[in-house]
Amino acid sequence: MTSDFAIETDGLEKVYRARFRGREVKAVSNLSLRVPAGVKFGLLGPNGAGKTTFVKMLLSAVHPSAGSAWIYGKDARLPQSRRPVGYLPENHRFPIYLTGYGMLDFYGSLSGLPSNELRKRIPGVLDLVGLSDWGPVRIKKYSKGMLQRLGLAQALIHRPRLLILDEPTDGVDPAGRREIRDILNRLTGKGVTIFINSHLLSEVESFCEYVAIMRKGELVLEGKMSNLLAGSGYTLVVSNLPSAALTDLREMGATPQPAANGIALQSPTREHANLLIDKIRAAGGLLDSLKPSGATLEDLFLKATASDDAISERAA
Amino acid sequence: MTDQPRKSSNVFFSLIADTFQEARARWLFWGLFALSSLLVIIFLFALQIDLSAGAISLLGVQSTSRRIFNIQKFVNVSYSWVAIVLYVWGTFLATFASAGLIPSVLEAGRIALLLSKPISRTTLLLGRFFGNLLVVSLNHIYLVGAVWLILAVKTNIWEYRFLYAIPISIFIFAVLLCVVVFVGVISESAALSVMAPVALGLISALLAQYPIIIKLLDSEWARRLWMILYWIVPKVFDLGSALKQLIQLDKQLDWFTPVWTSAAFGFTVLIGAVYIFRKRDF
Repeated sequence: MTSDFAIETDGLEKVYRARFRGREVKAVSNLSLRVPAGVKFGLLGPNGAGKTTFVKMLLSAVHPSAGSAWIYGKDARLPQSRRPVGYLPENHRFPIYLTGYGMLDFYGSLSGLPSNELRKRIPGVLDLVGLSDWGPVRIKKYSKGMLQRLGLAQALIHRPRLLILDEPTDGVDPAGRREIRDILNRLTGKGVTIFINSHLLSEVESFCEYVAIMRKGELVLEGKMSNLLAGSGYTLVVSNLPSAALTDLREMGATPQPAANGIALQSPTREHANLLIDKIRAAGGLLDSLKPSGATLEDLFLKATASDDAISERAA
Repeated sequence: MTDQPRKSSNVFFSLIADTFQEARARWLFWGLFALSSLLVIIFLFALQIDLSAGAISLLGVQSTSRRIFNIQKFVNVSYSWVAIVLYVWGTFLATFASAGLIPSVLEAGRIALLLSKPISRTTLLLGRFFGNLLVVSLNHIYLVGAVWLILAVKTNIWEYRFLYAIPISIFIFAVLLCVVVFVGVISESAALSVMAPVALGLISALLAQYPIIIKLLDSEWARRLWMILYWIVPKVFDLGSALKQLIQLDKQLDWFTPVWTSAAFGFTVLIGAVYIFRKRDF
């Protein structure tokens, strides 16, 4: 069975029960999500939102209390559903007794690659992550950034169709982050679905096409990044504008406000913005900038995770 | 496109090889080897006993036919006691060495990655089990084989039954390893994983004294409980006795009962460990 979706979940839920006291904690609640194949998807949420539990349920490391999950149409509980998956866990503990080469050989074999194929692929993957000289060195000598890149290499060794990265740049310095982002960018266009679980908003905003935000185990916002960030109008910054023209602009429905280099005007539609521009130019004013007014991911995140009654907003 | 499935036997082999590599890296393999070598060296240099000459001198037998019989018996008894030493030494040392290998694989950042691979949890756990068994088996073969060779060269009596210590030691270790795995899966504690099988070994020695003990117990339920426990607990002591009898050519030998009851115990515990491992969240 094939599917247009790399990941599909329906009413996925995880309840942890305290062993003796019988107390229940809902880590993930009724989560239904579809991740289209071939996209870059970011899952955001504050600490304890249930992101890692959700990922672990996809990979069957945690058993759902209710609901179902599919990976490319296959029941996520089946081992073969994980064949197209490459995974880099958060706080990983790779076997430090192995060399970089040995680690790729081990995890590659568990992913289903025969030895002769691994021998061919390992040098290439080490080169891709910039560790070609470090293959024969034991992992315990690796820095944090190198470990992340090696972890990425083990996730890529079997050429997965779905790459799940749990906090891939956590604890990595800015240069290391850039390197990881560059590696991921190289995969773009090859049909690989990249699912990033992160709390780094800027990273997700700059890289992902789709985003979902979780809060207290629930999905509170989901959609295409461009749609979610798009505002409902345009912002014009003008200068050299006569005061008479300002009055006319106010009458046209614009709301002038002081800006750093002149006056900022808000316009609700494209047509209205064009009418304003005609008026400004006719009055001898200068248009300094014109851009769609919209929110940042941080605005969305704070809004979605702040209120108790945040309602799931679909903007597909 | 993702690659075609690899044979599950190859995945299993990778898991076994990884356990072996970890045992080497953690110095468990070399530690066992070194301690076994210590025992071998003791036999090689410290035990300056000529069994044949010693037997002749000790027994003071004159008749040729009777002398041969008694020498043979004396040598067999000596061999059997050496085998028991190796059985106890090898089994408990191996149990101590194996205690950390299951909890180590259950560490949070490690198990999640292993479970993300297209392998079943049963394969994962059994790969670890058999990898561990392989490490210890190689050590048992080395230890018993080396001591046997030294004794044989020294006495010129090539008593092949001494080598039964290898399969019997490996078998009882496999049974105790089932307990290590079970406790490791439940508790993730290396200390507890070693305490449980060692305690079972000691308890088995106590329970095996049932012919004496049940006569001392005054209530029927206590006698029954003792016998039930005797049948349940793996027979570490009884198998050691069976090994001794096997080498001594004792006609009263009963090795089948301790083998099948211990195997049933180990199998049940291992099934339980696999079941819990499959159900657990990591």
